[in-house]
Amino acid sequence: MTRRSIEIGMAVSAATFLISVPWLIPALTDNFWVSVITEILIWSLFAASANLLFGYVGLLSFGQALYFGFGMYGVALGIDHLGLSFWPAFGLGIVSAIAMALVSGVFAVRLSWHYFAIITVVFSLIFYFLAVSMKPLTGGDDGINFSLPPVFRFGGSIWSLTDPTFQYFFVLAVVSLCFFLMYRVINSPLGKGFLAIRDNDLRASLIGLNVYVLRLIAFVMAGFLAGVSGALFAFFGRYASASYMFYQVSGEAVVWTIVGGAGTMFGPLVGTTLFIVIREIVSSHWEHHSLIVGLLAILAVIFAPKGIVGLWNGWMTRLGERDAASAPPRLTLQAEP
Amino acid sequence: MRDTVLLLAMNGLIWGLIIALIALGLSVIFGLLDIINIAHGDFFMVGTVLAWFSLSATGNFWIGFIVAPVIGFVIGAIIQRLVIQPIHGAAALSIVATFGLSLILQETVRITFGATPRRMLAPIQGTVPLFGIDYEIYRLFAAGIALVALAGFFLFLQHTKLGIWMRAVRHDRETAVAMGIPAQRVYVMTFGVGFALAAFGGAVAAPITTVDFRGGVDVLPFCFMAVIIGGLGNLAGTVAAAVLLAFLEGLVQSVADPTVARISSLVLMSAVLLLRPQGLFKGFTR
Repeated sequence: MTRRSIEIGMAVSAATFLISVPWLIPALTDNFWVSVITEILIWSLFAASANLLFGYVGLLSFGQALYFGFGMYGVALGIDHLGLSFWPAFGLGIVSAIAMALVSGVFAVRLSWHYFAIITVVFSLIFYFLAVSMKPLTGGDDGINFSLPPVFRFGGSIWSLTDPTFQYFFVLAVVSLCFFLMYRVINSPLGKGFLAIRDNDLRASLIGLNVYVLRLIAFVMAGFLAGVSGALFAFFGRYASASYMFYQVSGEAVVWTIVGGAGTMFGPLVGTTLFIVIREIVSSHWEHHSLIVGLLAILAVIFAPKGIVGLWNGWMTRLGERDAASAPPRLTLQAEP
Repeated sequence: MRDTVLLLAMNGLIWGLIIALIALGLSVIFGLLDIINIAHGDFFMVGTVLAWFSLSATGNFWIGFIVAPVIGFVIGAIIQRLVIQPIHGAAALSIVATFGLSLILQETVRITFGATPRRMLAPIQGTVPLFGIDYEIYRLFAAGIALVALAGFFLFLQHTKLGIWMRAVRHDRETAVAMGIPAQRVYVMTFGVGFALAAFGGAVAAPITTVDFRGGVDVLPFCFMAVIIGGLGNLAGTVAAAVLLAFLEGLVQSVADPTVARISSLVLMSAVLLLRPQGLFKGFTR
């Protein structure tokens, strides 16, 4: 077994699993888990937005919930107040998240490290309190409900997210597309620029990279990812609420990312899956499941400081070293954290 | 009108002094251990709960003023040893670890204390006339206690062995260790002191605010703001910033609703961060 064959095997089985979910899960357990997996996909995209900033550019954002919230409210208000159909509402959510990220990014990326973390929290808190106080428009903490318009209409047949299987595949397709886009960006010259800034922003600027502009681009891209996940979550829950813009929601994305493995493509997915699956399993048996989640977060950083994917990459590297005598060294797909 | 402004400004000022205590704890932990402590608001919350428990167990309110910081110190020291030490001051990891701590503390309080918020009766009832308004005596008393505690903490830093060790390790860890200062023990103590300050703030604030397992959530961003606006590592600046922020919020509250007041202090915060990222008071001290 070489590292390459193990990774290909895992990728194939993960893809097979994800495609067969709507049939496999009801046969094994309960339909309920299809919607849990849908939710995991949406939240892992949200975690990926925190990962893009922290794992690849070295900017720790505690305010991604702001762009999640804009995506969410763009969809909800577009449908509920403006009477938009599905795709324009989706577009409105994403565009408003990007616009917000651009406006706040212009200011935020001038700062770095602690200061950047604090200003992202401050921006997101400002809009959280605005959303709470503008109750007639946003519904405040109670939120607003809306009914779903259909996604496609081909002659007589109507495709809508009210069908759980279609909803699952729709979310899977959008999330996969976003992850693919992120993968392409990370492996482009632009992505190398991000990594250079993460490792040493002074050196990056000395070799002629425009640190400010690159950070701003990354910030807007992360806003886009968060906005898409917020829009998807609004469609998924037919609901938008100010409570999803609170700083604790942003914090969860950071925690999922670091536990899964910051600076790796699939770290956010692994971290999000771990936390949501445990929450769903334990909370049905025990009311105080937060104790388990808290303990897990602590154990994860003590025993896997590079995250679960980082731990895995470490094992794979050691496996590779054992085979190194016979095989030439190979570049890995994942960027080391 | 004048009375409302005065009342809310006084409330803000006193709340600012209590926040200053909590934020000092945050700043000490932040500065010495490079730990971004997401659980610090919950340290404050634990203080309010300890005050509530000691009141209901003994019937004496004042015992809480001793119980909260002492137990807080012990829990803080244990947490440092078990959770913070193994991550070796990695700031990113400290966020996750203290996030876990925050969940554990909140859930433990929810199990033992319950999920319903409770109000605690102030041990000193009544009001005194002050600048033409009737002001609650306990709030004035709380302000006095907070001032004494703040002064006590600065004296502790200047004049006790542990305080000097803490400043030495913060200033230059290598040299401090070379001079024979047990840095590891100083870290344990520092975390304990940070927790104790927040818990003491909680015990003082318990009759003013509500006792609730989620009581720390709103306090946390406020404390971080005070630390940053005051300038990282500038303890006196932290105190000044906390008082200033809460005072301004109190003033705005007298003409607008509390949410608008909160938003305006956040906007002020953004302006400070962008224009003076080194803090408002750089250049005034040291």
